[in-house]
Amino acid sequence: MTTTLVSAPAARAEEITRAYGAGNAGVRALDGVTLEIASRRLTAIMGPSGSGKSTLLHCMAGLDSVSSGRVLIAEHDLGAMSERELTVLRRDKVGFVFQAYNLVPTLTALENITLPLTLAGRRADPGWLDQVVTTVGLADRLTHRPSELSGGQQQRAAVARAMVTRPEIVFADEPTGNLDSRSGAEILGFLRRAVEHFDQTVAMVTHDPVAASYADAVVFLADGRIVDHMTDPTAQSVLDRMKAFGG
Amino acid sequence: MVKMSLFSVWHRRRRLASIALAVMLGVSFLTGTLVLGDTLKANFDRLFTQVSAGTSVVVRNTTGVQSRGADADRGLVDASIVPRIRSVAGVADAQGQVLGYGSLLGRDGTAIGGNGPPRQAGSWITTPALNPYQLVEGRAPVGPDEVVVNRGAATSGSLHLGDVTTLQTPQPVKVRIVGIATFGGADGFGQTTFAGFTLAGAQANVTRQPGRVSSVVVRAEPGVASDTLRNRIRTVLPRGVEAITGTQLTRERIDNISSSFLNLLRTFLVVFAGIALIVATLSINNTFSITVAQRTRELALLRAVGASRRQVRASVTLEALTIGVVAAAFGLLGGIGFAGLLKGMFDAFGFALPAGGLTIHTVSLAIAAGVGVLVTLLAAQIPARRASAVAPISALRESETEARALTRRRIVTGAVLAAVGGAGAVIGAVSGTVALAAPGALALVVGALVLAPVFVVPAAGLIGGIVRRVRPIAGRLAEDNARRNPRRTATTATALIIGVSVVSMFTLFTASLKATLDGQVRTGVKTDLVVSTPAFGGGRLSPQLVDELRHSPGVQRAVGLGGGPVKIGTESTTVSATDTAQLHEVMRFDTTAGSLTDLGSDGIAISKSNAAHRHWRLGSLVTVTFPGGSTARTTVRAIYDHADLLDDIVMPAALYAEHTVQPTDTVVFVATRPGVPLDVARRAIGPVAQADGGSVQDISQYGASTTSGLNTLLGIVYVMLALAVLIALLGIANTLALAVYERRRELGLLRAVGQSKRQVRSVLRLESVIVSTFGTALGLMLGGFLGWVFANTSGSSTIGFPVVQIAIVAVLGAIAGVLAAIRPARRAARLAILDAITAP
Repeated sequence: MTTTLVSAPAARAEEITRAYGAGNAGVRALDGVTLEIASRRLTAIMGPSGSGKSTLLHCMAGLDSVSSGRVLIAEHDLGAMSERELTVLRRDKVGFVFQAYNLVPTLTALENITLPLTLAGRRADPGWLDQVVTTVGLADRLTHRPSELSGGQQQRAAVARAMVTRPEIVFADEPTGNLDSRSGAEILGFLRRAVEHFDQTVAMVTHDPVAASYADAVVFLADGRIVDHMTDPTAQSVLDRMKAFGG
Repeated sequence: MVKMSLFSVWHRRRRLASIALAVMLGVSFLTGTLVLGDTLKANFDRLFTQVSAGTSVVVRNTTGVQSRGADADRGLVDASIVPRIRSVAGVADAQGQVLGYGSLLGRDGTAIGGNGPPRQAGSWITTPALNPYQLVEGRAPVGPDEVVVNRGAATSGSLHLGDVTTLQTPQPVKVRIVGIATFGGADGFGQTTFAGFTLAGAQANVTRQPGRVSSVVVRAEPGVASDTLRNRIRTVLPRGVEAITGTQLTRERIDNISSSFLNLLRTFLVVFAGIALIVATLSINNTFSITVAQRTRELALLRAVGASRRQVRASVTLEALTIGVVAAAFGLLGGIGFAGLLKGMFDAFGFALPAGGLTIHTVSLAIAAGVGVLVTLLAAQIPARRASAVAPISALRESETEARALTRRRIVTGAVLAAVGGAGAVIGAVSGTVALAAPGALALVVGALVLAPVFVVPAAGLIGGIVRRVRPIAGRLAEDNARRNPRRTATTATALIIGVSVVSMFTLFTASLKATLDGQVRTGVKTDLVVSTPAFGGGRLSPQLVDELRHSPGVQRAVGLGGGPVKIGTESTTVSATDTAQLHEVMRFDTTAGSLTDLGSDGIAISKSNAAHRHWRLGSLVTVTFPGGSTARTTVRAIYDHADLLDDIVMPAALYAEHTVQPTDTVVFVATRPGVPLDVARRAIGPVAQADGGSVQDISQYGASTTSGLNTLLGIVYVMLALAVLIALLGIANTLALAVYERRRELGLLRAVGQSKRQVRSVLRLESVIVSTFGTALGLMLGGFLGWVFANTSGSSTIGFPVVQIAIVAVLGAIAGVLAAIRPARRAARLAILDAITAP
């Protein structure tokens, strides 16, 4: 089943499978998934636990390797890339927001935000950095260390870091999973704004229908396969669809 | 609970392996030193027992003046007692024997044995039962110039039957080799060289006293007990001659070698084993502390499900016990190998030790293993107590039990200890009081170690600042990591601090000693040239050499300096013997009373400190007892200010020679005629000196050669300390590996946002370099200070600062950090990003 969304894709999965273990004892976390993540869109990937949604994200981000099939980011085939090329890709073309533990505890908020650039030996474009920092509302907390920031502030710093290199695509893995609903809403608002105002592309794994409602499109996963998709979702429509799967 | 502990050890075996390695190395070192001690003792016992195996009774001069080595310096006895002893009932045979100094030259004209072992010459005893040597080739000497030599000497000097060579006694004597002998089947008595003349030949060439012998060896008839025979023989002996049994002689020799050489060596080795063990203990303690901290949640869970504090504590202790026992067992095996290595090392450095297989006593093994296990248990005690203090609620919280904050008490304790200790050490150093300097130094070291965490933050900033210039981001991350837990960083560096401080202390101490000795030579000696024998060898120069040199072209003046052990009352001391009338021409010293130039035939000169010590003044009558038992009544006729190259008593060479069996010079000062170039004079007297076994040196060479023994000592010290530093490195590697495990999520995150594997490794490496540089720097400062303190207390007047060596130590310390990081860095780079991020 092919799911095509509007506009040229920022990332693409072609018939990917991911198997753990071998033979009958093996588990297929992904079982022939084909998916395109449209540019300048916020795509949500949903599914019950064990549906393979996190594995899909990890595979598409080049953090995990696929057993078969191809993953392309900005038309680069990840399977053909060396370890070093993958590192450079993650640094320059991909942004990450994890559920928790997003920041290096010994670095300040600003240092964390500019970390991918520093690792590449580059300086941040001051205008862009300023814009990103202002957007996430951390301008007055840049010299603080992660331990001095609230959970919401930490996630905002993570969002800022993910965008600082103007990547092809930002992958967010349950970015609001550890937050209260107000902080969560803030983070989702930033991701939304990144897509709308800064032409960023975001792929976000979530199990929360409210979070999914911020997306332009939703892909539903169950048992390692894509079972459905939806455009312009609302929290209610997502919830209804999930109920239909028994999730 | 026991099963669980064992399972826990097995489960974490890789991380615990390095603790075990530290224990193992410590135990290996201790085992090695103990086994080496046992082996040497056993070999000396065996050798000395062999020497007098067939001898029932030995008759010798009563007066012995203790010097270094197994035998006291003893005078001769009259050979006329030999027939008297033979006539005693129960005596099967009695043979007069001569034994003295004689250095054999090999085929290439150089002394056999180099600088090391003793060189003996004497008489060949024709009764096989009384002679520890056995002929294996040729025959016993008959003519006065014929000798039997031991096989070891013949082999290393490429000498064969029928060869003619020179024996320096120290006067050169031409000898023909007619026999080759073994000593109990071995090539010789340890590494000693031996040349045996006929008795008459030995009296003519070695002692130069016909009619006198060194001792008489007696063999009892079958059935006559040695004790009985000894008592019978005593009744026929004149005054000043004594009889002891062969067993007594063996005992006496073993005791002498034990108290003079073996105990010293053993203490020396045990001190280093102690340092290695302290370093190991610290590194074990650190590792245990970290692992306990990492397992807080696991331990809390145990407590939550009902484990008592005691049980938790016992489980950690049991873990330590398991590791200790396993590691100690391997350590014993390693130690036996290490003993062999140490022995080889001493041989390589020129301390020839008696040959023979290793002697392994169960007691030594038990001690080493016991200490190893105990040290491990001890090191685990604090972490175990901390583990038992984990509250059950911690199972539900993310928290660390590893204390990070520095308590005020710690800072105050450290500061007070360091300040008081430092002050004590300085006062002790300035006033030359070891009793004040030593405890002061110890307190300072302990205080500095307690305070070390305080220095971590600024030091890491300083070192990090330099590192950051080269590697901005990696340096920054590394610096922060090093500062994250100052206590841990400091503890990790502690082992290195100790290792490096001991290394630098010895380096500075020896450098100062060398500078002082060298200075003494330069300021004390007026002549440009000196003839001496290779240092450390006990090689000696013939008194005739002075005359020969005096008549050599280009020489204006030659003055010999010799001397040896004597007794003043019951106290053994050494005197310098020289041409007192000319001494001031070749040496610089101040006479405070009287004059050295006219001591007369029975006058002596004493140093000012000796005068104060013994309450002597000009005109005091002093009775000097010589090794032969003869005494000289002398008068103090001059007092000189302390001169470093002279002993505390100086007497005319003639007076000394009169009472000494083989009077020799250790050095001859040679003044050249004005206008004769140094190298011309040198070439002229070279052959003269060489014929007598001496070599010509200019004053700086002489200064260097007097201190060359120190280099050997320092070499051995370095090799031993290398082990302690190795253990310290293991400790750093260990802590880094644990840190990698702790920070795996952070490492995963960094990799996810684009850190390359190279950068990961680079950060770890730099962190390690920061820790090791910190340890090295603190160690250098402490060691440098301690070296200064002890150089001062031991009377070094010049403090040498060996810039090159210190720089080498500093660079090695930093390199050590890189080495220690290799494995942890590789492991950190290999972490799968996904596993790391999703790690609990």
